[in-house]
This record gives sequence, C-alpha cells and structure tokens, in this order.
Amino acid sequence: MNLEMGEALEAFRAEVIAFLDANVTPDLVEAGAKTTSVFAPFEQAMRWQGILAARGWAAPNWPVEHGGAGWSAEQADVFAQECERRGLPPLLPHNLKMIGPLLIDLGTPEQKAKYLPGILSGEDFWCQGYSEPNSGSDLASLRCMAVSDGDDYLITGQKIWTTYAHHANRMFLLVRTSTEGKKQQGITFLLLDSMDLPGLTVKKTIGLDGFPEQCEVFFDAVRVPKANRVGAENDGWSVAKHLLKYERGGGSPGPALRRRLAALREAAARADDGMGGVIADDPAFQERLGMLEADVISVDYHFRHARGGGEPAHDPAYPSMMKTLSSETSQALSAMMIEVAGLEGLPRQLDALAVGANSGPLSDGFDMVAMPYYLNTRAASIYAGSNEIQRDLIARIVIPA
Amino acid sequence: MDLTFTDEQVMLRDSLGKYLERNYDFETRRAVVAASGGHDPKIWADLAEMGLMALTLPEDRGGLGGSVVDLVAVAEVMGAKLLAEPWLPALPGALALAHGGAGEGGAAALAAFAEGGAPIAFAHEEGRALAEPARVAMTATRKGGELILSGAKRYVVAAEIATHLVVSARVSGAPGARAGIVVALVARDAPGVTLDAYDTVDGRRGANIRFEAVRVPAADVLADEDAGCDLLNAALAPTVLALCADAVGAMGALVKITARYAADRKQFGVPIGSFQALRHRIADMAMAHQKARSTLIVTTAMAEAGACAPRDLRLLKAQVGRMGREVGESAVQVHGGVGMTDELSVGHYFKRLLAMDAIYGAGRLHFRAIGAAA
Ligand SMILES: Cc1cc2nc3c(=O)[nH]c(=O)nc-3n(C[C@H](O)[C@H](O)[C@H](O)COP(=O)(O)OP(=O)(O)OC[C@H]3O[C@@H](n4cnc5c(N)ncnc54)[C@H](O)[C@@H]3O)c2cc1C
Repeated sequence: MNLEMGEALEAFRAEVIAFLDANVTPDLVEAGAKTTSVFAPFEQAMRWQGILAARGWAAPNWPVEHGGAGWSAEQADVFAQECERRGLPPLLPHNLKMIGPLLIDLGTPEQKAKYLPGILSGEDFWCQGYSEPNSGSDLASLRCMAVSDGDDYLITGQKIWTTYAHHANRMFLLVRTSTEGKKQQGITFLLLDSMDLPGLTVKKTIGLDGFPEQCEVFFDAVRVPKANRVGAENDGWSVAKHLLKYERGGGSPGPALRRRLAALREAAARADDGMGGVIADDPAFQERLGMLEADVISVDYHFRHARGGGEPAHDPAYPSMMKTLSSETSQALSAMMIEVAGLEGLPRQLDALAVGANSGPLSDGFDMVAMPYYLNTRAASIYAGSNEIQRDLIARIVIPA
Repeated sequence: MDLTFTDEQVMLRDSLGKYLERNYDFETRRAVVAASGGHDPKIWADLAEMGLMALTLPEDRGGLGGSVVDLVAVAEVMGAKLLAEPWLPALPGALALAHGGAGEGGAAALAAFAEGGAPIAFAHEEGRALAEPARVAMTATRKGGELILSGAKRYVVAAEIATHLVVSARVSGAPGARAGIVVALVARDAPGVTLDAYDTVDGRRGANIRFEAVRVPAADVLADEDAGCDLLNAALAPTVLALCADAVGAMGALVKITARYAADRKQFGVPIGSFQALRHRIADMAMAHQKARSTLIVTTAMAEAGACAPRDLRLLKAQVGRMGREVGESAVQVHGGVGMTDELSVGHYFKRLLAMDAIYGAGRLHFRAIGAAA
C-alpha cells in the first residue's frame, strides 16, 4: 500500500490552481451552485468541457493517444478536489464516460476519426436512447424497430427518459433488428448523426422539480446508414453491456458529496432551529450529520480502494454496490438538506435557479437548491439500473447458487 | 368508545368526495394550479355551498359549529383528492378571527369567508417553521390605542387572494416567552404591507410579507399580550389536526395508486408487484399509512374529548410528516421513471406531504421536544 503525496503532487496542484484561476468564469461557478441534479446545466457544462478539452483535461482517464491526460489516481483526485473547491459544475457523463470510451474500444477507425474529436471537445453532445415506455428495467425487451433498407436502416418506434435529448445533436441508441431467438439477441447499437433527421421528434418531459431534463423521442421511418452501427447486427446487447462498465464505474461521487455536505453544515449553523438555537447545535442532528459524513467518506474510500487495485477491483458486485451506496448516500444527504431548509425550501424558484437569472433566491442559495435537489435525487435509485435490480445482482453474486 | 365517523360525517365525506371526483380530476387540478395558483372561484364557491367554510366557524359567528372531528373528516378527503384550494391554509386565520375579539371589520371578513368569500390568510410563520407559537419574534409596539407592526412573515399561503391577514407579533418579552404576543387583523392592502408572492412546490401560492409601521386600530386586535399565545394555540390545534388528516388522505391515495400501478405495470413479463422487493416496500407503505391514520384518529378523538395536550399534537404532526415522506419516496421508487415526472399525480401528492411536514414545526423539532421531556 502506498499513497503518492509530496512535492510532485503539490507542483501538479499548483498547475491546476493556476489553470483554474485563468479559466474559471463566474457563470461556471453559478452553474455549479445551481446544479440540482447529477446533470449540470447544459450550456455551462459543455462550455467548461470545451475549456478543459483545449488543455487536454476533459477526459483524463481516456487512453493518452485519444486525448487522455495520463494522470495518476492521486493527480485525478487533486484535480477533482480543486474543481469542487471552486464549486464547478460536473461534466456531463454521456460523451466522456459513455459513448467516447465505447467507440475507443469498439468503434471502427472511421467512426473514431469522425466522432471522437467532437465527443471530446464538446462540440457534439450525445444522448442515450435505451429506455422505452415498456422496457425500463427489462431493457432487453425493447421494441424500437430498425428495418434494413439497402445501405440504411429505417427506425420506427419510441424512446423515453432520454436525458437532455432536447440539447443533444447526436444520439446512441439500441434498436431491435430481429425478433427471433432470445430477446437479448436481435438488438443492434446505432449512432445518430443528427437529432434533426426527418421523422424524428423530441418532446420534453417536466420533472418533479419543475425542470425538463428527460425527453420522449419518437421515430417514424428515420433513416440511418448501416455504417453508423457499432458492433455486428443483432449484437448490440453485448455492445451495451460493454458500455455499462463505464457507466456504472464512473468517477468518485466523493468530492461532490463532500461539497454538498460542507454546504449542509454551513446552512445548519445559520438555520434557526425553532427552539431558540441553531440546528447545528442540536445533538441529534449532529449525530445524524456525523453518520452521513461517515457514509460519504466510506463510499469515497470504497471507490478509491477499487481504483487502487484492492479487493473491490476484482469483486463482480462492485459496480452494483457502488451505484447503490452512492445513490442512497446522496439521497440521505438531500433529505437532510430539505430538513435544514425547512419552510424556505417550499417556494418554487424556477426562474432564480436559471444560470444568469435576474432575480436572486428568496432566502439563500442553499435553501433554493435544497428541494429541487432532493426531488431530483429520487431518480438516483431509479436510473442506471434501479437499486432493486442492483440488490438482486449483488445478492446473486454473494449468495452461493 | 367509538372511533368511527358519524353518519352525518360519512355523508359529508361522501358528497365532498363525489363532488371532487366529478369536478376536480387531476387534469382540472393541473389547469387550476397553472392558471391561478390553485384557486378557482367556482370550486371555492361550491365548497362554501357545501358548508365547508361555515363548518370551521362557531354558530355565534355565523358558522355551523363544526367539531374537530368534522374538520378532520373533510380534510382527509381533500388530501386524498389533492385539493389545492386554500381551505386548510385559511383555517387558522378563520379560527383565530372566530375565537378572538374581532371587531366589526373582522366579523364582516368572517361572514364573507363563511359564504365563500376571500380566505383569511394566516401570517404567522417567520423562519424555518414555528413549532411553538411562543417563539413569535416579529415586533409590535403600542402607540395610543393603536398597534404598530414592523417586521416580516414568511410562507403565508393564499395571502394574494385574501382581503385580510391574521398576524402574530410580539409587544414584549423575548421569543420563547408565552406572554407578550398579540394577534391582529390587518387588511391585506393596508399601508405598509408588501407581498412578495411565489408558487410553492405543492401547487399553491405563498408570500413573504413585510410590515412597515402598519397601523392596527384597537378594534382589530384579536388578542392582547395575555391572550395571544392561547389564541394562536386555539387556532393552530384544530389546524394541525386537519393538516394531518389531509396528509393521511394523501398517503392513503398514494398507497392505492402505487399498489394499482404495481399490479398493472409489467417488466420481465410479469407485474412488478410480483417482485418481493416491491411487495415489501408496498406493504411498508400500507403500514405507514395505517400507523399515521390510527394516530390521527385517536388523537382527534382525544381532542374532541378535550384531552389532547400540546405534546399529543406534536407527536401526531411529527409522525405524520415522517410517514408521509416515507410513503412519498416509496411511491416514486415503485413507479420508476414515470414517478419522477410532474405528469402523474404521484409527485404532487409527494410534494404536498413534504410541504405539510415543513410547516408548523418540522418533525425534527417535535420529536426532539417529545424525546426531551415526558
Ligand atoms: C432521471 C432519469 C434519467 C434517465 N436517463 C436516461 C437516459 O438518458 N437514457 C435512457 O435510455 N434511459 C434513461 N432513464 C431511464 C432509466 O434507465 C429507467 O427509468 C430505468 O431503467 C427503470 O425503468 P422504468 O422507469 O421503466 O421502471 P420499471 O422498470 O417499470 O420499474 C418500476 C419499479 O419496479 C422495480 N423493478 C423492476 N424490475 C424489478 C425486478 N426484477 N425486481 C425488483 N424490482 C423490480 C424497479 O426497481 C422500480 O422500482 C432515466 C431515468 C431517470 C429517472
């Protein structure tokens, strides 16, 4: 066991700080402060990605020949810490943690040349078209059809819950190309070059927090060249499974959770407890805050343990455990946030939550963010494989057959 | 002992339920919320016609002299049907006016309310939820026979459509002292009253209100410093019971809707309600609802018998808030992606429950007080 510390790392930190000093603008910080979802405000997240890409830091984990930074784990941590310290918005995962790594592994040379630059720079944004109205947890039952038409496919059907489809200019999706055999067979993985194709319509869905984040996407004989297929026809399920590895692995939720925890602690120190003191001084609250912090730390260390090659790195249950633990920790945190915000969390402040809004929050930024974050974070136990599904997977691994 | 509703109460519940079923489906509610912050004069007038406003007031004030059991009986139906009309938010103001020493203006406001006129808004909350009326801090000073109000109130629901506000303020003593609190009736458009109104997460309209040297004539002082705290408690006790009934109604609806969804929604070729993880979760929801409802019903009977101490109310309020959040969270989880949208009623029930937990003292405060002293 060995943690890299010391001078070299501090020199790297200085480099990061200098870069952030030179490049962080107030709108980026505002977007970070107004992030009430795992998905940061679109425009600023993509602008920030562009700035990082120009420095070679947008996708530090990618292979260096494709634009990765070649950082050590400790360097990646330092970078994440410094970004969180300034409250910067997280980058959107779709390009950098999903379709990018997938194409690096499984794309054709033409696909890599055509798509990777835009994926990395953020010039393109890719949305993920998997779920359908009747195929959520049971994704393999999907029915959006692609029929062969010469060198093209014609897609007809519907996708749902497609995050940021209304912002996207590209989409990766799963379609059914065969109804024979097992449902996992007969699925094909395709890339859409545009969201303005004839026959394609996007309809926004308003979430519990009042914001449009997911969309329905309708296909009526949408034409896609066969060259836009990743993997073989009818082998899309294994392509998607390959991608899952990146989707669930992801980065550590640690830094973002720690930042929210610190904000919670500060807010509790200001918040009238209705009994003549402040909430932070309530021993019962302190105990729960302590437990929450311990959970945040344990989840972060679980991630680091895996990344450092420890036992979790070889545990097939690790991705499911990480997903379940981190989602439930952020949910617990969000519940304490609305508790501290109390009444001040009840006004619906959609206008003030927009980046660049003319109006400020009714009380303060913490109170404004607490309720939308709490509501939005309910989704963390639903998307990317619900926690019920994850627990089943974990149990299947842990309990002897 | 009888812990059931009377035939009359059952009839009233039925007719309210039927009325709302016919005239207030989820789409109608959505339209009313979007267009006018949850208040539709036609529906409001119909509720008054059913006697629901008069129900809240004593007979010598032109009311029907409804008991707390009556209030609980109808509020549960309102919660179950997701009624956004400000009947409940108007309740404490009306009760304070009815039980306080209201002058002519107050009597007229009350009479108008009883007949379906403007609600009387209750300007009492100040910060992160006042579990205890004695914590009122906004200041009032006496000048001649008048009261001068200065300060701010927060989260006053239905203030925009009210003609009058019932305001709590302090003439002496520090927050925490029972003595020194006055309750006053203030015209909403009185000089010095400014509203900063907003939509709330549960589909109503709230406002933060500033009072700048607002003059209140002696006739509009509902309770002076010896009686203010008691008047607030008298207004709040039935309100908290009704609010808990509304929340229990919402929980009951969520259990039903979620169980139905689990039976209908299929994944992997079978209803999701066949998966044990969800079965247990739904069973827990049903237990949480029953636990909350029994606590409500027995506490209501105690209140009716004059045997409900502030501590009993705290316990009910806190428990309903806790169970409500649990039921709401589970309802969303069982619905999956569609539970995260504003398109189903599920999320709206959930947000109603969250709002109810936050007002009049969050659960944390009440539990703490209960745990601190037997
Ligand atoms: C915020 C958000 C963003 C999303 N973004 C995207 C996106 O960009 N692209 C995309 O394709 N999809 C996206 N999704 C969709 C997401 O992947 C699905 O919501 C998820 O797969 C669950 O499917 P469902 O919503 O149909 O719920 P269902 O599958 O119908 O599940 C309903 C309930 O049943 C439970 N359940 C189902 N099967 C089982 C079982 N076998 N055992 C126990 N319990 C079970 C679930 O856990 C859940 O509680 C997003 C969803 C959300 C909420």
